[in-house]
Amino acid sequence: MQPWNEDDWEAFSSIWEPVSAKRNEQLTRPGEKERYLYFVAEGVQRVYYSDERGREATIVFTYAPSFGGVLDAFLLQQPSRYFYETLTPSEFIRALHISVQRLMTERPGIQTLVLKGIAASLSGVLERLVSLQIRSSEEKFRELLQRSPHILQLVPHKHLASYLGMDPTNFSKLMNKVRI
Amino acid sequence: MKRIDRIELLDQLEQRSENHISTALRSFQNATPLALLRQADNGGWSIAQCLWHLNSYGDYYLPLIVEALNASADAPAATSFGSTRLGDYFANMMEPGPDKKKIKAFKKHSPGSIPDPYEVTAEFIRQQEVLLACLNKARTKDLNRIKIPVSIMPLLKLRLGDVFRFIVAHNERHLLQAERNLTFTGEINPRIHATAELQKSP
Repeated sequence: MQPWNEDDWEAFSSIWEPVSAKRNEQLTRPGEKERYLYFVAEGVQRVYYSDERGREATIVFTYAPSFGGVLDAFLLQQPSRYFYETLTPSEFIRALHISVQRLMTERPGIQTLVLKGIAASLSGVLERLVSLQIRSSEEKFRELLQRSPHILQLVPHKHLASYLGMDPTNFSKLMNKVRI
Repeated sequence: MKRIDRIELLDQLEQRSENHISTALRSFQNATPLALLRQADNGGWSIAQCLWHLNSYGDYYLPLIVEALNASADAPAATSFGSTRLGDYFANMMEPGPDKKKIKAFKKHSPGSIPDPYEVTAEFIRQQEVLLACLNKARTKDLNRIKIPVSIMPLLKLRLGDVFRFIVAHNERHLLQAERNLTFTGEINPRIHATAELQKSP
């Protein structure tokens, strides 16, 4: 990452406000605008989809130090298709879309950094697609254990099962079977 | 009976329930089935049986509480909560402590053998989420006027504030019991803890 220009940093750091949320608070719901870009300081959250039959897909987990919120709805300022929900008590800082938008227009340095951030999260999504399409349940479980083992102690395992595209019973079996 | 600010009461109960769900997420759902199903050294309940017992109370109380909260109008913020003599007695009886006597569980709340310990653990976690949502929703309600019939004697109705106190104290009592089993067997899935520790250190 290129170093920050001092003026850009000054401008960028001034647009954030702190906000906290309890466990299981829905910060964004389907049909709503995503007004904020979040940066997670504490806790775990998820972005998930729920259909009319109540089937859920947990798509992304967010935790410190990373950005959070429904990113596509935020950037396009279109109604969200997803929920953004806290899974533990959480602390964030957040910035309004209009503030981020203004800084991106006024400051090319900031625009570049935001684009890099989006590209990085796109990389993450593409990697996940590969994993979901070709890895076995056990391989996906191992990947999760390597990458974010702490999450197993913080969130209900049914959400992890959904994230990996398996049912909770299968997840329990792997909990039991897989040894490092 | 002494009155207490309802927000103060709900804050206390919420903090305790936060600890309860954190314990279940951290320890119980990561324990091996063997650890969850093993009887206590003194022949008492296994961890899974403790959780099943708590779930059997949640099965009864939580839907009634959800319904009552939905049906009741908001109350003025100044409405404080006062325990009734009986409500206070039941809640205190459930509070864990060194000098507390063993209480025999009622038949319908007595666990048998548990076929799937992970399912029981997941259900306990789900119920704690519902309980926390109820505690939150109750912040705008009158905890004196909402009454809930007691599970083991439905003709007796207690104030919602006392029912919350009873449930949280009862949860704590049996979670402490369950945690003692975990200490005896030391069988939290070791690999998760080892890797989690690794990731914590920079």
